[in-house]
Amino acid sequence: MNKAQQKEYLEDYAEAKRQGKPFFPYAIYKDHLVALFAIGIVIAMAIVYRVEVGEPVNPATTDFVPRPEWYFFFLFELLKIFKGENVLTPVIMGTFLVPNILMVLLVVWPFIDRGPERRIEKRPVALAIAVVVIALMAWLTEEGVKSPSGTVDPAAIELEGLDEAGEAGLVLYAANQCSACHMIKGEGAPGPGPDLTNESSKDRGLEWQIDHLKEPASRTPGSSMPAFPNFTDQEYEDLGTFLEGLGDTYK
Amino acid sequence: MATKDIGPKNPVAKTNDMVVDYVDHRTGMKTGLNWFMNRNIPAETSWFQTLGFTAMALFGLQAITGIILAMYYKPDAATAFESIRVITDDLTWGWLVRGMHKWGASAMIVVVFLHMGRVFFFGAYKYPRELTWVTGSLLLVMTMFMGLTGYLLIWDQKAYWATVVAVNLTASAPVLGPYLADVLRAGPEFGPNTLSRFYAIHMLLIPGGMITFIAIHLFLVSKLGIAEPPWSKRRTMVEREKEEAKRQAARDRLPTGRTRVPVRAPEHPPLRTPAPTSSSTATTPEGGGS
Ligand code: HEC
Ligand code: HEM
Repeated sequence: MNKAQQKEYLEDYAEAKRQGKPFFPYAIYKDHLVALFAIGIVIAMAIVYRVEVGEPVNPATTDFVPRPEWYFFFLFELLKIFKGENVLTPVIMGTFLVPNILMVLLVVWPFIDRGPERRIEKRPVALAIAVVVIALMAWLTEEGVKSPSGTVDPAAIELEGLDEAGEAGLVLYAANQCSACHMIKGEGAPGPGPDLTNESSKDRGLEWQIDHLKEPASRTPGSSMPAFPNFTDQEYEDLGTFLEGLGDTYK
Repeated sequence: MATKDIGPKNPVAKTNDMVVDYVDHRTGMKTGLNWFMNRNIPAETSWFQTLGFTAMALFGLQAITGIILAMYYKPDAATAFESIRVITDDLTWGWLVRGMHKWGASAMIVVVFLHMGRVFFFGAYKYPRELTWVTGSLLLVMTMFMGLTGYLLIWDQKAYWATVVAVNLTASAPVLGPYLADVLRAGPEFGPNTLSRFYAIHMLLIPGGMITFIAIHLFLVSKLGIAEPPWSKRRTMVEREKEEAKRQAARDRLPTGRTRVPVRAPEHPPLRTPAPTSSSTATTPEGGGS
């Protein structure tokens, strides 16, 4: 808006106020009706859907589902969109660039959209952006609702070049809920463990992998990964071979 | 309120006036309240314009239920979970207060997003209300952070691991990420101090910030006045008159009907704007401030 348009707006608004009515009680009573209604809904929800006591924290178990509150689902799902081999590291896109750009855009929006028009039907660009953003957030949240656990079907992880050991390792990987903390090729949870798609690139070696599985802290001091001490030697070997081949033999 | 049939000598009414005068003389409270409560708003406002107040009411509800919870919650890794269990299972109505706090958080997020949507669709963030939007968007971010930090305090499996994931995601961000994660975790690892840190952030830091920003947000809304819905009856009339004037001007400027001359709307919509009564009346956003 240029100076003249600003002046015109202020004059027009002053006129609206002159023809208006007092805030108290005309606006206040509407405000209170709606607010009381909202508080009523909160109380009703609290009564109908009683809070529960969960399981006490145990950093060494695997049968949990790391789920955020529903209003963070869209951020979590965003991560899964940027899976695979992007030009930019997927995690950086999902956790950093996209959310931060969106947040900055949100804050500075009034300085981008400065036109004088306020009727939404005459602001096609703003309307289109709003519709796209709302649809995207709704869709991502819905996706988050639908993917409740970290357990994945081994068939969901599409790896090429699987030999016998690789196949057995993948089955163990799926059966032990590793994907509750790890991601392979976009399947599984984005954390707390690292993405294992390219595990072979770290050159850990089979022995390192087996020790790490038996007692993670022995190889990675302070590791918060639970220990898996009860596999057979054959199983350790399969799983270790599988992990060491990720991104190299199996991709 | 003074009623006539009691009479001016009623001692209660007299004391009342004296107290009000005493306070007003020293604070100017009457002027302030008058400015806030008795200011004019546009004649036509939408029900959607109640959502900001509703967000504020829910914030108040969160504050009240939060204070009650804090009376029984024990912010320590060894006792937190048990104290939540006591609140939920043993205390009279403890489950209700905890449930209201939990559902209240979700409700607040929903209402704040709806409020933002209404501001967007009304174009209410445009001149002169840009900074109201900026303070509002910061409030949105703070509301989300309240949800994140509060979730961990329950200290159960789901909350614990979800927060571990969230903090690890923070750590994966470039440059500042690792430092920010260290600040959140109170060190390189998730531990007992993380809980105290989230407790302090959830109970002191963010609420303090939110109260401050809600105050600024509200001050701006009352100073600038609530925006008129762009399709109110009055606005529709003004627009129609403008269109009419434009068309009239176009007719005036096209005597031969052959060359097109760019058309400008007149500076003022005629008729609708009476002469200002004082120099400041028409040009300040308060619209005369009387
Ligand atoms: C509770 C969450 C969790 C579960 C379940 C889990 N991990 Fe981990 N994992 C982690 C964390 C956290 C790390 C990072 C710390 C570390 O390296 O020990 C990690 C690290 C790793 C690494 C090391 C990467 C490297 O080279 O530094 C491998 C390999 C791995 N996990 C494999 C597995 C496998 C296989 C399973 C299933 C049998 C599994 N994880 C289950 C959390 C988990
Ligand atoms: C804790 C969160 C918030 C609270 C308590 C709050 C409170 C309020 C209140 C009480 C109003 C008065 C008018 C109305 O109810 O619509 C208002 C107006 C406004 N809010 Fe918010 N708000 C919050 C978040 C936001 C957000 C997230 C935005 C946008 C990003 C925003 C932008 C605005 C703007 C621009 C106005 C002025 C609208 C007008 O004058 O018509 N607010 N807010």
